[in-house]
Formats: sequence, C-alpha cells, structure tokens
Amino acid sequence: MIGARTLRREDPRLLTGRGSYLADHDVPGLCHIALWRSPVAHARIRSIDTAAAAALPGVVAVLTQADLDAAGARPMTHLLPIPGVQPLAWGVLAQEVVRFVGEPLVAVVAASRAIAEDAVDVLVVDYDELPPVVDVHAALEFGAPLLYPEWGTNEFLHLDYATDGLDDALARAPHVRTERFESHRIAALPLEGHGAQASFDPATGTLTVLASQQQPHQLRTVIAEVCSLSEGEVRVIAPDMGGGFGNKQHFTREECLVALLARITGRPVRWSQDRGEGLTASIHSRPQVHDATFGYDDDGRVLALSVRVVSDLGNPVLYFSGVGPSLVTVGALCGGYAIEHHGWSLSCVATTTCPVGGYRGFGQPQSHLTTERVMDLVAADLGIDPAEVRRRNLLPDAPRPFIAHGGARIDVGPLGPQLDQLLDSFQYDAWRERQRAMRDAGRYVGIGLSTLVQGTAPTQYGVAGRGGSYETAIVSVLPDGNVTVAVGSKSQGQSHETVLAQIAAEMLGTTVDRVVVRDGDTALLPNGMGTWGSRTAVMAGGAVRVAAGRVRDKMTAIAAHMGGAPTLEAVAAEAWWHAHRLPAGIEPGLSATVCYTPGRTIPIPDAAGHTSFDETFGSHMTAVAVEVCPATGDVSVLDALLVSDCGVVINPMVVEGQHQGGFAQGLGAVLYEEVRYSDDGQPQCTTLADYTIPTAIEVPRLRVVHRETHSGTEGGFRGVGEAAITAAPAALAGAVADALAPLGVTITSTRLHAHHLRALLRAAGVEPDPAAFAIA
Amino acid sequence: MKPAPFEYVRATQLGDALAALASDDDAKVIAGGQSLVPLMALRLARPALLVDVNDLPLDTVEVANNEVRLGSLVRHVRLERDAVVVRAAPLLAEAAALIGYPAIRNRGTLGGSVAHADPAAELPAALVALDGVVLAEGREGTRRISARDFFEGFLTTVLAPDELVVGVQVPVAAERHGASFREWAPRAGDFAVAGVAVVIELDAGGVCVSLGAAACGVGSTPVDLHEVLTDAGVLGASDVGDSLLRSTAQAAARTARGDDDREQLVGLLTAAALHDAFARARGGDASGTGVAA
Ligand SMILES: Cc1cc2nc3c(=O)[nH]c(=O)nc-3n(C[C@H](O)[C@H](O)[C@H](O)COP(=O)(O)OP(=O)(O)OC[C@H]3O[C@@H](n4cnc5c(N)ncnc54)[C@H](O)[C@@H]3O)c2cc1C
Repeated sequence: MIGARTLRREDPRLLTGRGSYLADHDVPGLCHIALWRSPVAHARIRSIDTAAAAALPGVVAVLTQADLDAAGARPMTHLLPIPGVQPLAWGVLAQEVVRFVGEPLVAVVAASRAIAEDAVDVLVVDYDELPPVVDVHAALEFGAPLLYPEWGTNEFLHLDYATDGLDDALARAPHVRTERFESHRIAALPLEGHGAQASFDPATGTLTVLASQQQPHQLRTVIAEVCSLSEGEVRVIAPDMGGGFGNKQHFTREECLVALLARITGRPVRWSQDRGEGLTASIHSRPQVHDATFGYDDDGRVLALSVRVVSDLGNPVLYFSGVGPSLVTVGALCGGYAIEHHGWSLSCVATTTCPVGGYRGFGQPQSHLTTERVMDLVAADLGIDPAEVRRRNLLPDAPRPFIAHGGARIDVGPLGPQLDQLLDSFQYDAWRERQRAMRDAGRYVGIGLSTLVQGTAPTQYGVAGRGGSYETAIVSVLPDGNVTVAVGSKSQGQSHETVLAQIAAEMLGTTVDRVVVRDGDTALLPNGMGTWGSRTAVMAGGAVRVAAGRVRDKMTAIAAHMGGAPTLEAVAAEAWWHAHRLPAGIEPGLSATVCYTPGRTIPIPDAAGHTSFDETFGSHMTAVAVEVCPATGDVSVLDALLVSDCGVVINPMVVEGQHQGGFAQGLGAVLYEEVRYSDDGQPQCTTLADYTIPTAIEVPRLRVVHRETHSGTEGGFRGVGEAAITAAPAALAGAVADALAPLGVTITSTRLHAHHLRALLRAAGVEPDPAAFAIA
Repeated sequence: MKPAPFEYVRATQLGDALAALASDDDAKVIAGGQSLVPLMALRLARPALLVDVNDLPLDTVEVANNEVRLGSLVRHVRLERDAVVVRAAPLLAEAAALIGYPAIRNRGTLGGSVAHADPAAELPAALVALDGVVLAEGREGTRRISARDFFEGFLTTVLAPDELVVGVQVPVAAERHGASFREWAPRAGDFAVAGVAVVIELDAGGVCVSLGAAACGVGSTPVDLHEVLTDAGVLGASDVGDSLLRSTAQAAARTARGDDDREQLVGLLTAAALHDAFARARGGDASGTGVAA
C-alpha cells in the first residue's frame, strides 16, 4: 500500500465537477458582500457618505469599522512573537488611513454581489492623498514618508546574525565578491479565489463559518478572538478547495468580516473574492533584495557568506505577514552547503502596497536563488564545473543531524551520492557535450543546477507565538469494518484522501477503498494545525500512523481473545457490539485520537542559543537545460529532471504530481509572472490579461527520480510539497545565465521573462539579425 | 467584477438593430462579447442598452467578382478553418488562428474585432495589409470604408454610434499569392506585443508585383507598412536575400521608434513575415495552414 501508485480517490469527484467549493454553498436568504477598496496607495479618510448606497434596493447594510467596533469587534494583530518587531493592530476594515490600493474601508451587504457592487459604486468617500511609499529602498531612506509615523521608520523589523570571525574570514578569503540578487513580487493565485461564508444560529448561539482556508482550526481561534466568542461557539468548515498555496494560510480581514456581518445582520453572508481582488488586495509574495558578499578559495570552496536581506512586506496588516517567509529566508541562506562563516541582516520594510505573505516555498525560493547563484558565480569565476563546485561545498555525508548555523538539525541523507545520481540520470556530461555543439551552431543553450536541502514540517511557534508542531488524527474502525480517518490538516488538492488512506490501510491490514478520509471541519477534532510547510505527510501522516497502530494493537488483542483468525469485520463487530465479551481492561470500540509530534523542533532559543524550526528535511536535486532565443528572449526548457528524496514515498504518482505542479509555479514565477506597481503605487496587474500565468502549453514535463532515506519520524516521511517551486527559479536562473554567458549577459534576478531578457541583451549590445531570425 | 445594470434587446432584423442602436445614446452592440463583456465586468464599459446582433444573418462567406465578402458575425474559428477563407483570404485565416485560444475564437466575431479596434488585434492589421473594405450599415444606408481609413485611434473608428459593421471585403488571393502573419506574445494566445502581416503577389517571372503589410501592437491603430516595404524595395524584387530582409526590417522597425522593445520585435517579425510570404508565394502554399492555393 505504502509506495503504491494508488489512483487519487478524490479525482472522480473533483474531475467530474462534483467538488463542492465555497461558492457551491447557497443557502436561503444568502447575502453577498462587496467592499469599497482604496483606489489610491495612501490616503487619510475625511468622510464616508453611505446614504446613497444604503438606499439602493436590495442593500441590507453598509458598514464601516465604526459599526464593527460598536458590535464588539476586536482588532487583528500579527502575533509575531519576535523582540523588536513594531507593534501593529488593525481593524477588520481600515479606518482613518488607507495604505495600499485595495485596502478595504466600507463593506456592503446586499442580496447579490452585483447589487453590492452597484452600492459600492455610489459610496462617497472623501480623502486626502498622502505620499505613496513603493520602492523598498526609498522607504528606508531618511525622510521617507511613513506608513506608521508612530514607528519613526518604515522598518517593521530588523534582525542581525553573524558567526564569530565572519569579517575576518571574508578579509582572508582568496576571492571575495559582492552581488545583488533580487526576487520579484508575484501572486500565488489559486484557481479558486479566496472566500468565506458565515451564518449565525441564534437558537444555538453557533457561528458557522465556511472558509477556503488551509488552517480551519486556527481560523476558528482568530474568529473567536475578533468576534468575542468562545471557541466552542465557532465552527469553521473548509470545503473542497481549488488550491491554497499559502495564500489561504493567513487569516484574512474578509474571513473575520463575514463572521461579524453574519452576527450583525442576522443573515447568512458570503464574500467570494474576485480575480481583481485576488490580484491586488489579497496576498503577494517574494519581493526581496539580497546583497551577498561571499569569500571563496581557489578550489571553489565557499568560506564565508554574508547577506543583507531587504524584504518588502507591503502594508503588513496580515497575520505573521511577510516576516514569516523572511525569517525562513535568512535561516536557509546556506542551503545544503557547509559554509563555515555566515551572517545576515534582515530588514523587513513596510510599503504602501498589498500585504506580502506566504506562498508555497515560503521564503526559500529567495534564499535558494542567492545560494545557487553564488555557487554558479564561483564556478564561472574559477573555471570549475558548477556541479563540481557544488560537490565541494555540500554538507558532509556524516554526521547526522548536521547542526547548521543557528542550530537547525539537518537530517538529510548523504548528498554526494544524490548528486551523482542527478548527474547520471540527467546525463549531465552528454548535455555539456551537446551544449558545446549547439553553441558552435549559434544556439544559446544553458544548464542549470539546484541542490536543495529543505526544511519541512516546521513549527509555527516561531512566527505566531502559538501553534505547536503537531497534528491531530482520529482513526476509527467502524462496526462493519470500514475505516474513517479524520485529520486537522486540510487538503487543497494534495491527494490527502488517497495518501492518508494508504497509510491507514497499510497499518490496519485493509484496503484503501475501505478508508474514508475527512478533513476541514473543526467539529471533527478538537484542534489541528492545517496544511502548509510541506507538513501533512510527516505530521498528519505520522498521526494517522500512530492512531491506526493503536487501533491495530487493540484489534490484535481482541482477536487473540476471540481465538482462531477472525476477520477485521468480526473483530470490529466484537469491539462495538459485543462489549461484554471483550478481554478485561479493554475498552469497547475501535477508535484512537492522537496528537502526534516528532518533537524535534527548538522553537525558542535553547541554552546554546539554538533554534531549529523544522521536524525534518528533504533533499531535492534538479538539473535543467534551456535554450534562449537571443532575438525574442524566449526560454525553452529542453529537459528538466529532479532527483527527489522525500523520505519514504507513500505514493510515487502523488510525489511526481507535487513536483510537476511546483515546477510549473516556479517556472511561471520566473518566465511569465510579475506583480508590478506604478511609481504612485497603482497595481499594474489587475486581471489575468496582465498577470500572465503559464498554461499547459508553457509548462514542460519534469522528470522525477526517487530516492528514499528514512527520516526517523513516524513512517519515515520527509515532506515534498515545496521542493520544485523552490528549485525551479534557481535552476532556471542558472540555466539562462549559462546560456547567455557567451553574450556577456549576467543574471542576478528572477526576472527571466522574455521582455526582460531582451532588455538585458540589448543592454549588452546584442543586436539580433532579422535575416537569421527570418530563416530560422 | 459584475457589470453595472443594463437593458438588453436581441434583434432579429437589421432594421430593428439599427433602430435600437439609435434609440439610446449609451446603446452598444454585442456580438461575441469577448471584448465587451470583460470591459463591462470591470465597469470600464457601462452601456445602458445592449443590442444583441447574434440572430442577424451575418455569418456569411461569399466569393464574387474577385472579392471575398465576409459577414460581420463570422466567428474567428470559421475564418481559421473555412476552406473558402483559407483559399481565398489565407492571411485572415492565419491571423484568426493567432487570436486568443479556442474558447475565444468560438465566440469572437470578425465584425466585433474590427469595430472594437484594439491596436493589438490581428484582424484589423490583416485587413489593412489586404487593403480591405469595411461595410458599415446605418439608417442612411451602406458605407464602404477602406480599412486604411477606418481605424482612428485606440479603440476608436470612424463608425458612427448608430452604425453597424455588417461585413468586410478583401480581394481574392491571386495564383502566386503569399501571405504571412508573424507575432510575438508572451504566451500562446496572448494579445501580441507586436505582430506583422505581409501579403505579396508574384508575377509569372517571380517578381513581386503587389504587396501589402501592416503591424499590430505598435501604434494606437494598425500601422500600414505598405509604403515602408515598397520604399525598401520589396516591390519589384524577385528574391528576399539577407540584405533585403535586413534593410526592410530596419525600415519597418522605425515605425516603433521610441519603444526599443517593439522596435526590435517589429524588425524581426517583418523580416520573418516577408521571408514566409515569398516562400509561400513561390511554393504555391499561400498560407501557414498547409492548404495549397
Ligand atoms: C482571453 C481573451 C484573449 C483574446 N485574445 C485576443 C487576441 O489575441 N487577438 C485579438 O485580436 N483579440 C483577442 N481577444 C478579443 C477577441 O478577438 C474578440 O472576440 C474581439 O476583439 C471582439 O469580437 P466580439 O465579437 O467578441 O465583440 P464584442 O465583445 O461583442 O464587441 C466588441 C466591441 O465591438 C462592438 N461591436 C461588435 N460587433 C459590432 C458590429 N457588428 N458593429 C458595430 N460594433 C460592433 C461592440 O459594441 C463592442 O464595443 C481576446 C479576448 C479574450 C477574452
């Protein structure tokens, strides 16, 4: 069962249009919400006139934060438990000042979304514009306009770290180089936009919130806090989800808003994000600038790496905001390499743009870009093959765990053999030959590498001051021998109904088709952590395994007492229907609830000052070959291969799907997507005509080769969801850089879009020959 | 993203459509809806009245007097595949195939594309290259407007608010006709950042005796490249060697001056389209669709 290519049990439902997403939950009397969102980047509100809007037929209510306050709403906060972080609390709706285009100020509840939008249209909001703060470096300059004047700066958080002797090591290194690497702003863009729907039952006092949300239990806590309710009065249900990707990991203003409005109006209300809201007023990701100084010896060994990270948070009115990913970035700058001296400074900066937060990869694509570009630049500088430079810098194969700077306990398998396997499977040497031949024929082919060591199943404690590293599962064998599994991690499409069933079936000695997996409902389990951070296989998988093991042990005891070799059905019937016959000391029933933790994280500094946020690590090595058209800047992927070690593979097909999907998003980020703002803070990508995601036509196949190194956690899983999305930008940047090196172009950012490459080529003085282009 | 309130009528007679259009200053025709509906959803267009013309008998393809006459409701997919269009107006077939993706092409109409006058659109540029005529019907009767005069600016044409595009007319492709539409877009199906259409006709001796060319994505209307290519020496040429390709590309690129990126693309695409057009005129395969003329 474990290791089988079991077909996805959710597919018949999801692929035939029978999934039940947020907007499929119409109820009688349902009202819809539209929001008046700021049309300018920064403004002080003078007045709001709601009369015309409220008078429109079909409008139920028009509310501002003052109305929410009057109804007992409590402010939202970032929860960041980090010393030195600026204090910040905000209303569910903005008040007095708006700080990005799209910030919600007034909510309209109406019989339909169209009527609600008509009402928004006739709202009169009077405001004085304030100066926008768009460029992250300008935001840090002395005298820059301030988002929050009470801070006296736009810097939301500043942290520094350095090993003793870093400066010395850099001073003594035979070669030292400083480069700026930039990751540009993108949007996660789940196929199903965000949304939430709430209804309040005065008879029971229960508020039921449907939300397209990765962490339903934690949303329950936040809604209870904001609405002044007890957790027992709030039930959160996350129905089928058309993707989440971290975009639905944050607890949003709108989710709290529907909860408040359901109570205030007494009507069921829905907010269903439209694409414009999704692109401008939801959550963006990735914008960071790294200034990396690295020292290396003649053999290509990197002796010291120091990185100044400036991270654009947008307006950080978001639970843990872009600080969460930024902390992951700085923790991962050495990646899978043993670099003796290391340091970083982190500057998290508020700007008048859409809040920046989590997106699959969560800070790692940025650090990985820097680390891998450093390896490539060292290789190019010394004339050593980039694969060889990586080999010389990879973590030694022993001991395990390897204790990284800051304390991370890295438990990956041996990396040298994995690199060998990559070069071998990819036929690296043959590709280098082919590259030479193609170059001689005037074709610009490049090869890029990524050797990713990635922490998975992290604790959320470090960014939220709560949220342990555990997951809850209840495994029950029903009286007829069928099995139910309930978990706190919510599937957004990741095949949980299949892989968790495989684990339970294996442990219980039954078949996958007899197991039903349920998730996404706070009524199922007391608490749960949700799905994010490549955690479900390790944490929920571990919990299911432990719980199923307990049930199995109990069944074994009952079977022994029954004598002979009773079937699972017979044992189940015995346990539930013939309790009086059970052996002494054995409770009736077959069900186990488990809160599983591998217990390996160090969420707050220990005596040695160490923290370690991840329960385990995966190692994923990628090679890509691309061809760049020097005339159009088009990048074609000729081959892509990933050697994946995510520990014990539950279902190879699902792992390959995770890698393929992550690769598509990582490729999209660097070749097609970019969220742009004008200098005055107007978003330039408001529809899918401007925010161009790759379609099936643009996404090449990624070949996946599996390795399995047991993790030592329950079941031996390591997590897989964020590997390829992290690897792809770095590998593609390396490949494009390699392809264009003969033309004198250097690549230092994730902007590998054709039009950016054309500009770089023009700047390098490359003039394409129309005749050659015409004939090609 | 919900449109503002509007009224809707579905016309079954041309006269009714024209009357409805004249009845309200804020009336608008809706054909395939592929440009209008997104604008309405964004509330960038707020017509008070939509006059649906889809029931009018304008989905027609006719060849007469050496002209191809296409009704305004011919969908892009039909332009792309109709055997008559592919043979008689291969440039339109090739241009249509570059529009959006199949779902868009199944609904979007020739008349809608022409009336909408998006400067990045393929069909307006193709019509200019073909020196086609737009047939406009108003209450005073039919106007025949040269495509070269029809497009006024960004999303604006010489069409009166109460006129309807009922069709377009282009010359039937001659025996040694070669057409090519080349464009660059970030992804398959995107609006082109720049595109270039070239049509030529060779005489029996292989000399270029007639040409037309236009670019999309460059100005606020399709840019007529007829003169540029003529001056560059394409007319009268019997071959397009490297140097003619380069000099023509350079001359065409100048039409995008001030925008380095489009300048580069227009040059490249002009060379490519010109090269293709010659190859097709000589090979007897006038189009990229593989159908022999
Ligand atoms: C995702 C997407 C991608 C697209 N990609 C491309 C592309 O790559 N290239 C391209 O050229 N186009 C593209 N389009 C637009 C498409 O070609 C439209 O079909 C076309 O521009 C308009 O035709 P329509 O029939 O849909 O017109 P409608 O949207 O119905 O109308 C457009 C405008 O024309 C007016 N109109 C329509 N018919 C008439 C008429 N007979 N007389 C007078 N006025 C009329 C309407 O009042 C309206 O102002 C794309 C559209 C979408 C949604």
